[in-house]
This record gives sequence, C-alpha cells and structure tokens, in this order.
Amino acid sequence: MSVDTAGYRRWAGRQLPNALACWPIARSGLVLVLRRKLFWLLLALAALHFLFIFATIYLKFQIAAQNPGLERFVNQVLRSVTGTGETYREFMFRQGTVTMLVLAFAGGMLVGDDMRRGGLTFYLSRRIGRWHYVVGKLLAIGLLVSLTTTLPALVLYIEYGLLTNSFSYFRENLGILVGILGYGLVMAVTLALLLFALAAWLHKTVPLVMAWACLFVLLPALGELLQDVFDDRHWLLLSLWRDIRLVGTWFFGGIDTERELAMLNPSLAIVLGVCIVSTLALVPRVRAVRVVQ
Amino acid sequence: MTGAPIPQPLCRFQAASKWYGPVIGLNDLTWDLPPGITGLVGHNGAGKSTLIKLLTGQLRPSLGRVLVRGHRAWTAAARRHIGYCPDVDAFYEEMSGRAFVRMLARLHGFSSKTARERTDDVLDQVDMAERADRPLGSYSKGMRQRIKLAQALVHNPDLIVLDEPLNGVDPVGRVELIRLFRSLADRGKSLLISSHILDEMDTLADQILFICRGRMLASGSLDEIRALLDDHPLKVRIAAPRARQLAAELLRLESVRSAALESEGQLLLEVQRPKEFFGPLAAAVAEQACDVQRLQVIDASTEAIFDYLMETAKRPR
Repeated sequence: MSVDTAGYRRWAGRQLPNALACWPIARSGLVLVLRRKLFWLLLALAALHFLFIFATIYLKFQIAAQNPGLERFVNQVLRSVTGTGETYREFMFRQGTVTMLVLAFAGGMLVGDDMRRGGLTFYLSRRIGRWHYVVGKLLAIGLLVSLTTTLPALVLYIEYGLLTNSFSYFRENLGILVGILGYGLVMAVTLALLLFALAAWLHKTVPLVMAWACLFVLLPALGELLQDVFDDRHWLLLSLWRDIRLVGTWFFGGIDTERELAMLNPSLAIVLGVCIVSTLALVPRVRAVRVVQ
Repeated sequence: MTGAPIPQPLCRFQAASKWYGPVIGLNDLTWDLPPGITGLVGHNGAGKSTLIKLLTGQLRPSLGRVLVRGHRAWTAAARRHIGYCPDVDAFYEEMSGRAFVRMLARLHGFSSKTARERTDDVLDQVDMAERADRPLGSYSKGMRQRIKLAQALVHNPDLIVLDEPLNGVDPVGRVELIRLFRSLADRGKSLLISSHILDEMDTLADQILFICRGRMLASGSLDEIRALLDDHPLKVRIAAPRARQLAAELLRLESVRSAALESEGQLLLEVQRPKEFFGPLAAAVAEQACDVQRLQVIDASTEAIFDYLMETAKRPR
C-alpha cells in the first residue's frame, strides 16, 4: 500500500496501564537472550543437575515401592533427596555456578547494550517512566535466575509430592513451598539488581564477566583463605552466594545451628546493602543524556 | 467581545533552560512549534539534542517549562502525543524489525492484538512490510531509518520528532521518505526534523528554527527570516541578453544597493528589502522588453541564511 493511500485514523481503543509495559520489556529481553545458542548450552548444563536429582527422586520411590525393605537403606544412601527443605535449598544453592555463568553473559545483552548503543532512548521516549524500564529489565534477569533455580526446584517439589501418592506431602510441607519461593525471590532480586548495576556501568560482556567472576569466585576464595588465616568465620560473609543462601534458609525455617544463626543478621545486612548500593548505582545510568566533559 | 478560543499550540517552550552542571545546553528558549514540517538547524553542540530531549520528555528543564498539548513534556500524557525517531540505529541486531516495532508499540499500552495490527499498518506506511521479518542486523542504513520511523509512528502521535532521519539513506530512499514526511504533514501531523544536511531543509521544511550555543537565533519560514537580515542584502543573479541596460534601469530602484556585471549577459544584484524589489523588477523587465533567461536568488538557502545568522551572532554588540 502506498503512503498516500494509507489510512491515518485516530485509535479509539483502551490503552493498558503503564505498569504493564514492564512485561514487554522483560519478554523481549528474554527472547533476545534465548536466541543465542550459548544460553541454551548453559541452560542445558543447568538442566543436567536438575535431571540428575529428578531421576534420583524417581529411582528412590521406585526402589522403595518394589522392595520396601530397602527403603531405609535407600534413604541413607540418597540423603540429598529426602524431600525436606534442605533438599530444595541445596539444589538451588548448587545451581549457583551455572546461574552465575548465565547472568554474566546475559548482563551485557540485557542492559549493557542499551546503555552502550543508545537503545535506552527508544524506551525512554515512550509514555513509560524509567522505572518501568528498570523493573522490566530486572524482571527479565529475575526470570533467568528463576529458570535455573526456583522453577526446577518447584518441579522437584511437585515430583516428590506426586510420587508419595497422597496430597499429605503438600499439606504438611507448605513451608517448603514458601521456602523455595522466598529463597528464589531473594536470589532473583539481589542478583538482578547487582547485575543491572554492573552492566549499566561496565556495558560490555568481557569486563562484566570479569567483575562477576571477582564477586562470585575470587571473593569467596579470599573469604575462605582469610577465615583459615584469622580463624574467624565472619570472613565467609565475603561470599554473596553463601549470604543469599543463609537468608534463603530463613525462609525454609531451617536455621538449626547457633553458628548459622549468628551469621544470619550480618548476611541479611550484606544482602540488603548490595541491593541498596546497586539501586543507587543504577539510578544515574538510566538517563537518556550523559554530559561528556 | 469574546473571540474564538486561542488554539493551544501542540508544543510550547516557555523560557526553557537546561544546564548540565556548568555547561548550558539550552538557554531561555521561548518558542511554539508551528504545524507542518519544522527544521531544526544548528552546529554540533548548539543545543539541538537538548531541545529534542526536552521535547520528548527525556530531560526536564532546569528552568522554565516545556509543554506538549498543555502537559509537561516528561509526563506520560505528553509522551503519547510524540513519536521520536532518534539518530542512533544500533538496536537489537538479532530481533526482527517487526518484533522491534511491536515491542515498542506495547510500551504505549496497546494490547498484543492491537500492537500487531498497528505494527503491520505502520510497516506498510514506511514500505517495510515485506522485509520486516528479517533480523535488524541484516538491514541497510536506509532500512534501519524506516524501521525507526515506523516505531515513531506506531502510536499515531501528533508530533513526530526526527533526528537526522535521512542519514545514510540513498537518493531514491530520500525522495520516498521526504514524500512520506510531506504526506504526514498534510494529514495534520507536526514534524520537527533535525538535520545537518541544510540543502534538504530548503525543500523539506515549512519553517526553520536556527539555534546556536543554546539560544534561538531565528525561527520562521526561510523567506521571513531572509527578509529580516537587513545587514545581508539578498543576492540575485539575472541572465539576460541586455544585462547592461537592465542594470542601469534597476539601479534606479531604492531597494537595489548595487549591481555588478559578472559577464556579458549576466548580472549580480544586491537587494535590500526583497519584498519591495520583485514587483518593480517585473515592471522594469516588461518596460525594457528584456528577455530574462534566468533569475536566481543565490543566498536565500538554509545554508546561506544560517551562515549569515552565525556571522551576526558572533559580531560584538
């Protein structure tokens, strides 16, 4: 159709609220990430651990069903799949490595490119505020985190419950569901804010991966070393992933030891601190114009 | 007596200023955007980008107000009247043009179905419907410009702000885009076009806004602005067989400041107050029965006027 014959009529429909604009931003971000083969490879890696636990749970129930005498033995051998909160918490914790890899490579695409190439202008010139953009991108990162941690943990929880052949597992272990969701939320929010802030400042993938590795590989290693040298467990707080786990454990209601309890408040303070500093760091970057001195 | 209500301008700058720390981006600009196509002309760093960012609500003025249909420019109510086509064209390379436009349509609150329909409609308008499913990374510069234009038009805005829209577009594409701009203007849209290719402004823009160092130098149609430049007489070249006699006749006119015979048959006149010149010129030509082969105003182009304005602005007061 030629330009001259194109009808140019005023649209008279109802527009959706601005807040819903976060979803298309998150969705398009996820689509962009999932177009890359690298991410499918990383997600496949994440799925390996999940499939292993999934199969283990299935195997455990099959053995117990076919030979009830072996149930106690199987429970002793397969301690990691007892169906308690610890099973899911440990699963989510162990997904950390691959989650970190996914995020390290996705940050540049999801946020860094917008800052570096000026794509932010396309968003900020529309009828949405910059917080819609920020929330949309955080949502995309949070969903990526959930894709490798919370979602598979939920699937395992459902699998375990269904294999018990009664709904009593779900009724009696609602706390586990709260724990999975709570731990997942803490992980998603903290990592999303941190990744957004880092990507907003570093832009490119390589520096971002290096910074991410420093935070999640070097700092924990340093913490372990300093703990050995000074014989002080507080050095372990340098591992953010461990701090997140401790806060997540609180959601499972499973902080048993005095030692863990003593570390809970400092861990919570660190997680909150990271969230606040990241939020403050990203605010000045989500602007359309920067003055070059 | 109560007259008809004064129509509210689509966009109004009221003593708007913008500082970036010690740097001034825009200085005390008071200006109403006229209907039709308006060209925004200025050197690099003159304040064009700041003006555009203020208008599209990406920046707030440090002082003064920028209103779009009576709403402050950074509010959602104002932004729905504006479509912005930025100069950057490095967007999501893996995404298809259609998906890109549709995603941005959804940010305006359209449902998925409506966003799809509007995207198809607008891709048709910019002649990209056939090629919109290819990834953006495979597009030429001209195709990217069209996609940017499509995303600016997708919510049917009243004002379309275009930053260097013809950059990198081939000559055929330019003609098509200029025709599209004109067609949009004819349908009642206002267009603000920033461009450093001043030749294009001569044919494209109805009005021009010249800015320099954050200040407005002049605004209006080229003819109006040219007529106000008293210090710079209009230069008119006339080719006629009896140029010498014609020069003698024209020198009698008060509006003609000088006449120079460039070659036999070619005359260069310096004219003050052009409005008072062309009527008597026609009379003189008729009286002399002179066969004028060519009449050319050589310094009424955007570029010439811009140079004159810059010269005037630099002169100490």
